[in-house]
Amino acid sequence: MAEMWITMGPQHPMTHGLWTLRVKVDGETVTDTEAELGYIHRGVEKICESRDFTQITPYCDRLCYVSAMTWAHSYIMAAEDLLEAEVPERAEYIRLMAAELQRLASHLMWLGAFGPDIGNLTLMTWCLRDREMFLDLLQELGGSRMHYNFPRVGGVKRDIPIGWADRLRAKIKLFEHRIDEYEMLLDESTIWLVRLQGVGYATAEDQLNEGVSGPNIRAAGINTDARWTNPYSVYDQVDWEPAVEKPTSVKGADCYDRYRVRMEEMRQSCRMILDAIEKIPGGSNTHYSPGDEMILTKAPTRAPEGATGTSTYECTRGVSQFYLQGGGDGRGKNPYRVSIRSPMFITIPYVAKTMIGYKVADIPAIMGSFDPCIGETDR
Amino acid sequence: MGTTITAKQNSKAASAAVSAVNDRFSDAGIVAEVIAHSAGKKFEFVRITCAPAQWRALAKWLATEAGVNYCGMITGTHFPEGSSERGWEVAVHLYRWPIANVAPHTCTIHVGEKLTGDDIPIEYEVFIPIEKTESPSVPSVQDIWGGADWNEKETWDLVGIDFEGHVNMHRVLNPHDSPDEFHPLQRQHKIRYHDFNEMYDDPQGFGRKPVDEGRVK
Repeated sequence: MAEMWITMGPQHPMTHGLWTLRVKVDGETVTDTEAELGYIHRGVEKICESRDFTQITPYCDRLCYVSAMTWAHSYIMAAEDLLEAEVPERAEYIRLMAAELQRLASHLMWLGAFGPDIGNLTLMTWCLRDREMFLDLLQELGGSRMHYNFPRVGGVKRDIPIGWADRLRAKIKLFEHRIDEYEMLLDESTIWLVRLQGVGYATAEDQLNEGVSGPNIRAAGINTDARWTNPYSVYDQVDWEPAVEKPTSVKGADCYDRYRVRMEEMRQSCRMILDAIEKIPGGSNTHYSPGDEMILTKAPTRAPEGATGTSTYECTRGVSQFYLQGGGDGRGKNPYRVSIRSPMFITIPYVAKTMIGYKVADIPAIMGSFDPCIGETDR
Repeated sequence: MGTTITAKQNSKAASAAVSAVNDRFSDAGIVAEVIAHSAGKKFEFVRITCAPAQWRALAKWLATEAGVNYCGMITGTHFPEGSSERGWEVAVHLYRWPIANVAPHTCTIHVGEKLTGDDIPIEYEVFIPIEKTESPSVPSVQDIWGGADWNEKETWDLVGIDFEGHVNMHRVLNPHDSPDEFHPLQRQHKIRYHDFNEMYDDPQGFGRKPVDEGRVK
């Protein structure tokens, strides 16, 4: 049969954002693909060169609109590396809970968007209902629903409010039951299983070499999680274990494994949050005023010339990295260079390659199972 | 308690990795040292400084002998006011991550505290200074780590550092029809407002014409 190129995107339900997947098809079979990115490139790295270290945080929030908290934390960690700031332990616990709540919200957004891809519209309404609980909790911390501007170099902007801990416990305990409900809804659904199982195989070795990270690679049986391989925050003090899915095929992980690993990761996040709220130094029902040394320490604002700072952070979609260079007196309070590594920027071209050999109708399932986010991809 | 690796494991692995690099490459002028982060758990990592000519040999050795299996980030910086030996710099961040048996059904999941020797995860940072030149270039490592592919594309697109031997180099974030010499992270390109105050002081506010008006973008 004659082969032809078809263009999926930039406006296509499969893309979950603005990008183009060019697909070469032979009948219904995909024979070649090409990813085109850059539609919403905002030049964040260039803008950050003329902002000081505090002003950069809101830009990093906006890198990913579903996972603002983890991106801001990733940046702040690099800034602390560069400026050599100390973080109080209470602030570390608050950061951990904020990041894990964001992980829950982000995975729910992923599941909600992935359901309609597969033909399960109900899932969207269920997931957005539950995501709202976590957005409310995050709003109490950061003051807004999506872009929190919450971490500061040397701590956090605000302490947890009085009563937050009780609301948190209640919501997390409710949500643990909701995860079971989702699994009952999905794992018993023939459509869900038929569309996901045996589709979109990716082997562990391939993914590691191609730079895939996070839940996508843990679905293939490799336990690489920056929360323990490059330890930060207080992840070593709370109760959790990395979610890793053991593959059932020599071809690696399929779309179903990637769904399973994210469900397990949500459970682990709940476990971590419940443990952290009990162990938080200073008590969970105490509120320190903003700027108190329990939650924020004084940090330098200027970085010496030649100094560098890096962070390796487990974002919701994989490992994000920031690389900052200090500029010395000539640059004032601004960094000389800010460089951002987005996990999805590396993953999307790889996913495009894994589609070869599958049917056109499998493309939304394969793409969706890797959880693309174009805000962070294009920066 | 959560899985983690201890400071002792980390420090042992970092010094072993540094002495391995120094044993193999000290004659070639490659310098490796142990540096500690000031954030996170203040863990140690390996920082290597290497000339562009030696980069490929080093990369091959890291991938095959030192077990560096993951390319995190490749990025570049332009130093127009720097010394003549360092007009540009490429910074590469690599990882050695433990990989065990991933075969179906018998797959082993690592426990951080029990890892020893070469299985302990470690971070590498490689600086490749390039002398002052109009056309900076370093060898590509696209064929060694697939993850380097789009990182190198991005570095060329935004910073203008070329990667010799890179197959299928093209624009990834800038428009495909950008002028050949246009790489926005080079220092001669200024953004419209270089400071917040400039924006507020400008009587025309956001309506001011950009400095690059009329240029093909």
